[in-house]
Amino acid sequence: MDVLAKLGIDGKLLLAQAVNFIILLWVLKRFAYRPILDFLEQRTQRIEQGLKDAEAAQAKLAEMEKQEKEVLVAARKEARELLVAAEASAKKRDQERLRETEERVKKLLAEAEAKRNEEREKMLADTKNELAETVVLAVEKVLREKMDSATEKAFIEKSVR
Amino acid sequence: MEISIAAEKLFEIATFPVTNALLVGFLVSGILFLVARTIASRMRMIPRGMQNILEIICEALLDLIESVTRDKKQARTFFPLIATIFLFVLFSNWAGLLPGLGTVGLIHGEGEYATIIPFLRSTSADLNFTLALSLFAVCATQFVGIAALGVVKYGKKFFISPLHKPYVIGTMVGILELVSEVGKIISFTFRLFGNVFAGEVLLTVMLHLVPYFLPLPFLFLEIFVGFIQAVVFAMLTLVFMKMATMEVEH
Repeated sequence: MDVLAKLGIDGKLLLAQAVNFIILLWVLKRFAYRPILDFLEQRTQRIEQGLKDAEAAQAKLAEMEKQEKEVLVAARKEARELLVAAEASAKKRDQERLRETEERVKKLLAEAEAKRNEEREKMLADTKNELAETVVLAVEKVLREKMDSATEKAFIEKSVR
Repeated sequence: MEISIAAEKLFEIATFPVTNALLVGFLVSGILFLVARTIASRMRMIPRGMQNILEIICEALLDLIESVTRDKKQARTFFPLIATIFLFVLFSNWAGLLPGLGTVGLIHGEGEYATIIPFLRSTSADLNFTLALSLFAVCATQFVGIAALGVVKYGKKFFISPLHKPYVIGTMVGILELVSEVGKIISFTFRLFGNVFAGEVLLTVMLHLVPYFLPLPFLFLEIFVGFIQAVVFAMLTLVFMKMATMEVEH
């Protein structure tokens, strides 16, 4: 015990130092370590979550881009097909219309021809009649004295036709 | 100049002697608590200023403890004690290096025999503190061991029956283990005390020999020693604790 006293070891001080340390330990644990460590862990988790989310978002974006591209390709293909089809149908319709027009023109032409023929014939007939009459009149005038009218008329009609 | 192994008594409160080392211990505790509390209560997701420092200290310590325990949960359990030992020993070591050490204080005695009782004395330069801390650390080690293994299994580390395999040798090893637990207390106590006390004495002597510039390298050395001793105390406690929780392999 004498040695301890010489080294300055005193029960009261020893206890005081121990109590001081224990209080410090408890207080730091309660007010510093626990909140700080919890906080650090929380942040680590949050950062991990954030990184995971970012990765997922990137993957999703890539997938969406891919999908978009696919859709675009499909749309382009469809558009081309549509264009081709439209072109074909337009061509077909054009041809049809052309043909129709041609037919109509032909028909009109034929009608016009027929009408013209008819008219010409009619005119011809009229002219013939008129001519016949004129001739009859002229012949009558010339031959009034020479022939009697009945035989005369029969003879003239026969010769004109 | 008078060098005293024991911490000097400054005053008494109802027969309780308040020594300079105890005073510094209280001051360091108070400052540690205030600083930690202030920062910890205002933690922000994006760290700024002092919060960074505190986080670095905590994370580095936790990583260190985890690298020894190899167990996250155990590291969290050990962390408060190890961190407190480290921080308190570190700052009480460094507190003894503040200007005024061994020079500012009460005048004791008269005339030619007058000496100074300094206000500041590193807490670690007082055997009362180092012994208290060692006792606490070793007791905590026993407690941790019993909590992890149970009383019987933990007791088997020290009390080995002479009737089984290594026979008397095993029993002797057990007794040696028991003695080494006491040895831990003593080595803890005197290692820390010796280093810090020697540092203070060295600095005081240097300061009296050559007041300017010469003490500077020693001051840096003592800063380093103070850090190393804090690390050693904390790490040894940690290793002893880890060893106490592990089962004996035969």
